[in-house]
Amino acid sequence: MSIGPNLLRLDAVGKDYAKVEARGGRMRLVFDLLCGRGAQQVFRALSDVSFDLNRGESLGIIGENGAGKSTLLKIVAGVIQPTRGTVQVRGRVGALLELGSGFHPEYTGLANIDLAAALLGLDPDELADKREEIIAFADIGDHIREPIKHYSSGMVVRLGFAVATALAPDILITDEVLAVGDESFQKKCIAWMERYLAGGGTLLLCSHSMYHVQKLCRHALWLKEGRAQQYGPSAAVTQAYLAFHEEKSAGAKQPIPQRAAAAAGVYAIQSLELRPTDAIDHGGELLVEGEVYSPDHREPVVLIGIVRADGTPVYGVASDMDGAALTRIDAHRYRYSLLLPHLPLLPGKYFVRAHALDPEGVRLFDNVERPLVVKGETRELGLVRLPHRWRASVES
Amino acid sequence: MNARAYESSTSAAALESDPLPIGARAARRRNTALFLNFFRRELTTRYLGSTTGLLWALLHPLALLGVYHFVFTTVFRTRGFGAQSFLLFVAVALWPWLAAQEGLQRATVSLANYAGLIRKVAFPHELAVYASVAATFALHFTGYVFVLIVLAVFGEPVRFEGFLLALPVWLVLVVATAGLALALSALQVFIRDIEHVLMPVLMILMYLTPILYPLSLVPESLRPWVAANPFAWIVDRLRAALLDGRLAVEWSDVIAVVAALVLFAAGRWIFRRLSPYFEDFV
Repeated sequence: MSIGPNLLRLDAVGKDYAKVEARGGRMRLVFDLLCGRGAQQVFRALSDVSFDLNRGESLGIIGENGAGKSTLLKIVAGVIQPTRGTVQVRGRVGALLELGSGFHPEYTGLANIDLAAALLGLDPDELADKREEIIAFADIGDHIREPIKHYSSGMVVRLGFAVATALAPDILITDEVLAVGDESFQKKCIAWMERYLAGGGTLLLCSHSMYHVQKLCRHALWLKEGRAQQYGPSAAVTQAYLAFHEEKSAGAKQPIPQRAAAAAGVYAIQSLELRPTDAIDHGGELLVEGEVYSPDHREPVVLIGIVRADGTPVYGVASDMDGAALTRIDAHRYRYSLLLPHLPLLPGKYFVRAHALDPEGVRLFDNVERPLVVKGETRELGLVRLPHRWRASVES
Repeated sequence: MNARAYESSTSAAALESDPLPIGARAARRRNTALFLNFFRRELTTRYLGSTTGLLWALLHPLALLGVYHFVFTTVFRTRGFGAQSFLLFVAVALWPWLAAQEGLQRATVSLANYAGLIRKVAFPHELAVYASVAATFALHFTGYVFVLIVLAVFGEPVRFEGFLLALPVWLVLVVATAGLALALSALQVFIRDIEHVLMPVLMILMYLTPILYPLSLVPESLRPWVAANPFAWIVDRLRAALLDGRLAVEWSDVIAVVAALVLFAAGRWIFRRLSPYFEDFV
């Protein structure tokens, strides 16, 4: 094996998961695996991911749910083997994958420390030294003698973090654990991380917190649908990722075409019109109307809301709250119309949103919005004008 | 948590079943420690979940023995057990059978019990199966020795020098059971029916094995079929050693040792082929 300068090197790593659909599929899969030809029907969880990780250069892995982040971490941790490509690790890897990974619920905290030590390959002597350290860091008091199943999730994280960090790994892999635990423990973790990184430790962090990625990692890898979308300095990658999300959520606010709604079987707002269209005088009359699609002939509930440009909700009301009925156009189309006389919004930029809900008013399916500018001259502050009256003070 | 250390490399080409190609010695030390931990876990969580669990695990075969005694000597009045009583005749064969049966059943579902670890930690999955088989055998072998001592105290003619042969026979049994357990446990991860099919199959097999009756009572024409059952060899050799004190090695012993090793190798081969895919299915 070539010995490079890197702690970790992934070269064109890919991972396929076997897809099993039919009932006989599992038999078929076992047969294929025994014949050594691998699964025939696969889901590509990861393809062609390559990167080098040098000592002291932490890497943040970001991406949407199902992008392959956990798969990648598991491959680096050695839990699963890559279907394609190679992984080279030089040094000790400590992995903390999900809450309390590897803990046995029936065991006490102490017994779980022993199990973890056995998994890590610690000597009994080494363990004796470390045990006190772990117990002190976890700081969960006498709970250490109780079975893990009686722990709160925060305590499990504390113990897990204490164990994973106790053996001073060269690479520490963590999967969104910083988000759990109470404030003081999070601070303790971050402080530990910073000490660890300052001391030349290397972190492989999988997180949805761009703040943590920017703070702790020099580089970031953005995974999208199992592929590396972008790799580079963490600030640039996280900004690109956030920009992608803003565009994506902006895109979701257009009406779902009726064909798509019918195909998905969801209630969907078909149109949203404002009268006047996009600008209104303060105190004027606003009419909000449009059509909503129902996949199953039942009358949907429509929720109309007004938010300020920054997303602060101002007011929202649903048709079922007022017991209002929609106008039936045909089996699948209903018309809604909401009149807001004397709109009390203060001048500024707002959005009017319409949501389609199921007839029970429980599940929210759709979200369409239109900008609305309220014009006017006033020095009042806030969102709406509340009815008010100044009174002369009366001395009794 | 988990660790991989120094200079390891995994690739699609080298699908080793040991995910930790650390130094060979360090790996062996780690695996031994892990096995012992799992072994203790098997004994404590399975039997000590309730305080009387371990006691019950030892008493269960005794209770079975008592019932068989009642059914076969009081109700059916079976004869033909030679010099010793029905109790000793059955006891010699019953414990190894129960060890193998329980070992197989427990090991088959063992990977599901370790699902949490398999999904998140790198370790050789085989250890879970070995620990499961080893714990069951340790328990029943203890019970076996205990029962034979008690029967000897009550005057049954137990030939304790027979353990010179009985021990290797148990060893052959544990190796064969482990091999079969490896295959079944790996298949169980993908095909959940195995667990449910295993129980009745083992039940039927028990009655087809000369555990509760001597081979001599089987009609002449059927005898070769019954004797062909591999477990019949175990029963036969244990009785020869512990009841008759015959310690001579036979040709069948060599075949049995080879068969057990082949079974183990085959079971391990199947296990190692399937184990890289456990994480997704367990």
